[in-house]
Amino acid sequence: MANGANAVYAGPRGWSRRRDRFELPEEDIREAVRIAHAGGAKMRVAINTNMQSHEIPPMLQKMERFVAWGVDGAIMTDIGAMAEVHRRFPHLTIHASIGANILNDEDVRFYRSIGVSQVVADTKLTLKELASRKEQMAVGIEILIHANHCYTYLGKCWMSPYHRLERTTDPSGKDQFKGSPNRGGLDYRVCLESWELYSGATRWEEQVALKNDAFFLLDDIPRLIDLGVHCLKIQGREYPVPLVGEIVRFYRDLIDRYVAHPKGHPFDLAPWRATLAGIEGGRNAARGETTRLLLIEGRQPVPAA
Amino acid sequence: MSGFELNTSIANLRDLRASDLGAYDAIYLGDIYCRLYEANFLERPDDLREGIRILREQGKRPYVATYAAPRNDFLPRIQKTLEVAATAGAEAVEIHNLGVLKIAHDQFPGLPVHVGGFANVYTDAGVEVLRGFGAVRFTPNYELSLDEIREIVTTCQAPMELLVHGKMPLGVSDYCFLLEYEEKWGIKCPDLCQKDLFLKQGDWAMKSVGKGILSGKDVCMLEHLPRLLADGHRHFRIETLSESPEYRREVAGVYREALGRAADAPFDLDTGWWNVVRAHARIGVCNGFYFGKSGMDYAGIRPEAVGSLLTISPSAQ
Repeated sequence: MANGANAVYAGPRGWSRRRDRFELPEEDIREAVRIAHAGGAKMRVAINTNMQSHEIPPMLQKMERFVAWGVDGAIMTDIGAMAEVHRRFPHLTIHASIGANILNDEDVRFYRSIGVSQVVADTKLTLKELASRKEQMAVGIEILIHANHCYTYLGKCWMSPYHRLERTTDPSGKDQFKGSPNRGGLDYRVCLESWELYSGATRWEEQVALKNDAFFLLDDIPRLIDLGVHCLKIQGREYPVPLVGEIVRFYRDLIDRYVAHPKGHPFDLAPWRATLAGIEGGRNAARGETTRLLLIEGRQPVPAA
Repeated sequence: MSGFELNTSIANLRDLRASDLGAYDAIYLGDIYCRLYEANFLERPDDLREGIRILREQGKRPYVATYAAPRNDFLPRIQKTLEVAATAGAEAVEIHNLGVLKIAHDQFPGLPVHVGGFANVYTDAGVEVLRGFGAVRFTPNYELSLDEIREIVTTCQAPMELLVHGKMPLGVSDYCFLLEYEEKWGIKCPDLCQKDLFLKQGDWAMKSVGKGILSGKDVCMLEHLPRLLADGHRHFRIETLSESPEYRREVAGVYREALGRAADAPFDLDTGWWNVVRAHARIGVCNGFYFGKSGMDYAGIRPEAVGSLLTISPSAQ
């Protein structure tokens, strides 16, 4: 908050698109709401797993508590769960998660019709596509400005659990799907494996890469602000807290300076690019090490049930 | 129709004409991954009409697929595809994208919709939402186990369509990495993705069809057919979009015969069936996520019948 975030997403343990070490015990959500509100920011809960049918009633009970504690919104993926939450808590803002993989304007209309008022744009969309969405529909768009492009569309990929899926139950009785990002567990990032390519029995390439690049939207931020996008989002949960703070502060400063500068006058991004280069190094190093460890973990045998 | 439906998918007229579809009840027309796929039905309205006509003439149910991940610029073409499906006599369209579902519901309300595997059907509540938009059949997300699928069916009484054999879709992209090799290999799009390409590393393997990533192993539910029937399932897919006409014909023949006998007790597995499966599974077989395990695992009750298919065989490397 002190670095300038206006809103923070927190995942209750077992219910968000991250492994449990990046989630909060339920009671901590209450404290997180207090901290966020004290800092003038919003606290939203990330209930964005693709849950099981029988998990919807307990999810609604959880949501009841979160709403009572004052959360400002919920980010979700499963359309059935969204519809149930909207029915039960009509005034709660529902955000469609990146996992909902909203790709076109008609998708946005569909999600609006079931009670969604904010959507996270897929990271592959172009500025032209985003402009079309913003102009054509009164919908809140959240743009990831500091994240990774996966090879596949997020929410439409189960390469990781195809190779390793470990199903367990946590102490609260919640099913865990270690290996499936869509179902709440971690992603082993198997797309980043050093793949050989074969045609039949013949090896054609010793190493091929399924493109997966980090992206840091800097040059586009002024245009996004001009378009009326009012929520820029940073993937932060898996990085060290000081690094997340540094990234937030960087973008806060950039946004504030751009908004304050006289319209029609050139805005020089050069100094920002230089600063970002330093931040990128730390972020990429952290991510690279995580990927290396995940690929090792993905090769471990699944313990017998 | 028999007591069950066996269906598959075919991308273009050439493959349709080359395939013996005798063992199938229904065919999905079109490649869902790429607009540039060779002579894709979904880009050629005249071919699509002809495909529907051929299938009707053969007494098969023509279904029309739509793209798995359509962006704004796909939508006019998809609208045209839906129009052809509605006017040329398709019996249903398969839809993976919820925006396209909305278009179909708003503009073609009489057209039955089958919700595809990329639409992320994970819950009974999700099925109810989709029903409100006219969906009549559902392919659950491939990550669901049979127990989880049963949970949905019990609540919703919704007809499910299950992949019983073939390469399971694992992901879809907007980018085809094979294009980076056009010059080096001297092979151009749209021939590139038809070269039977596998990504391998150790005992991991996936099939690449360019923008689509499929399982390296073939999902094989042959010995579990009695369980599927007992759970009330009647719609079964053999995924052959990226396979040869021989694969399409022979594997379907096995399943047609096996499904006919699956209600018998005991269900007698024919050795000849395994030989056919073995001949066509280059990397091996798996059960996908149906038993709550890693998708590449095989949880057979007769693993000896599958033998070396359980792992990548040296000859395949």
